[in-house]
Amino acid sequence: MSNINEKFTPIRKGLLEFLVLKIVSADKVYAADILNELAGTEFATQEGTLYPLLSKMRREELVDYEWKESEAGPPRKYYKLTSKGREQLGETLDYWQKISATVKSLGQRQG
Amino acid sequence: MNKVIIINLNGNAYQLEEDGYDALRAYLDSAGRRLEGNPDRDEIIADIEQAIADKFRALLGANKTVILAKEVAGVIAEMGPVENGSGDGTQGSAAADPKAAGLDPGAAEGGSAGDARRLFKIRDRAMLFGVCNGLANHLNIDVIIVRLAFLFLTCFYGFGLLLYLVLAVVIPFANTAQEKAAASGPSPTAQEFIRRAREGYYEGMKTFGDRRAYRQWRRKFKQEMRGWRQDMRREWHQNTQQWAVNWRMNWAPNPAFGSWFLFPILSLLSIVVGLLWIWAIFTVVTAGTVFGIGLPANVPVWFAVILLVLVYQVVRWPLKLMRHSVYFGGHPGLYFSPFVHLWNALIWIVFMLFLAWLAARHPVWVHDTLQALPHQIHEAVHAVKGWWDRQ
Repeated sequence: MSNINEKFTPIRKGLLEFLVLKIVSADKVYAADILNELAGTEFATQEGTLYPLLSKMRREELVDYEWKESEAGPPRKYYKLTSKGREQLGETLDYWQKISATVKSLGQRQG
Repeated sequence: MNKVIIINLNGNAYQLEEDGYDALRAYLDSAGRRLEGNPDRDEIIADIEQAIADKFRALLGANKTVILAKEVAGVIAEMGPVENGSGDGTQGSAAADPKAAGLDPGAAEGGSAGDARRLFKIRDRAMLFGVCNGLANHLNIDVIIVRLAFLFLTCFYGFGLLLYLVLAVVIPFANTAQEKAAASGPSPTAQEFIRRAREGYYEGMKTFGDRRAYRQWRRKFKQEMRGWRQDMRREWHQNTQQWAVNWRMNWAPNPAFGSWFLFPILSLLSIVVGLLWIWAIFTVVTAGTVFGIGLPANVPVWFAVILLVLVYQVVRWPLKLMRHSVYFGGHPGLYFSPFVHLWNALIWIVFMLFLAWLAARHPVWVHDTLQALPHQIHEAVHAVKGWWDRQ
């Protein structure tokens, strides 16, 4: 299992941005929400990775944030998708469907 | 018994055990180093500090005010190594933590390569902001030529001056040693271009007279030039992206909710206050009165002018602040630099001292005025009401 885990490292790495896009698309989310949602999955990650990624995505204008007061503590950054981010998410989802269909169909005997 | 160190994380104080402080310091330092060259570095660090502060807050309670060293270590492990994604140096530490193993953010394009030459403002021997100095260093020409070029351009409707100011705003200062190194010397792309062009030229000369060799040389030369153009474009893109970030961080508007009507109102108020102030200064100098009230005999005119300046600053300050916050909508911008705070505090202190002085000097007059104040407000309200009823 760990061997597979290692083999898929670069793929997971590449997919993380896509997943963050997907999570952010659901609602306005706070960085900890993103981490929580990823925590149970194979894509579990940490602040040290997420913050630079979010700032890069913001620089590429895929996501944007706004400051909002929180019940406890200082205001937080809530992230949301920009129209460009939404577009990219749509494209990526389509592409993902294609890949997954390809993975399924390859090697299977027809008829 | 352990020594406790108090730290400030994004504006909140936390008490840490000394060993924990050292670990946290080392973590943040290494994060800063890894993000070297990332245009959003300060922002990412602030986010990380905020996340650490949140975790610390969750640890503390009514009976627990100090964060232990092992708790700091736990928080740091939870945070995981900060990865810029541009280097391979992060791989080792990432693998050490199975949870984060290899999940690199892949900010490859964003985190510009450390050795890239970039355009910076250079303070050493600068005349104004060091824009010309930086440009001269970047292009590897004498600074005099750049300055003359700007002067020359200024002859055309002040274009040079305008360009200078815009550049002064968008180009960052070279602060760290790394940035200074990146600022000096021509860009490697430009150097490469000169090298290739020279080499290609000599090779071309050698093929003189041999048509086939010449054609081959031309194809190769064109190919190289195309590659160079791509490099140049990428470098330019990197530079401009950095400038855009600087612009957004410090100067660009980011209107808050309701700014479309708040902003004009606040601007109008500022103008009214400004006009009133100018009128007051004018009457003080010419007639020795402020809005019809004569100065006390022992107050010289120059002192009254200074007081007016102070009063104006104090009255204008909240307006300015509101306007600014509406305009920039939440993100702080330049306005909230420590210097501004200091200045505002100074003005407030002087204003309060003035009020105290006034109260001590004319106790009866101040007392009477304060006593009469409710009555006067009452009258003013009545007057407005009467005016309204007549409409």
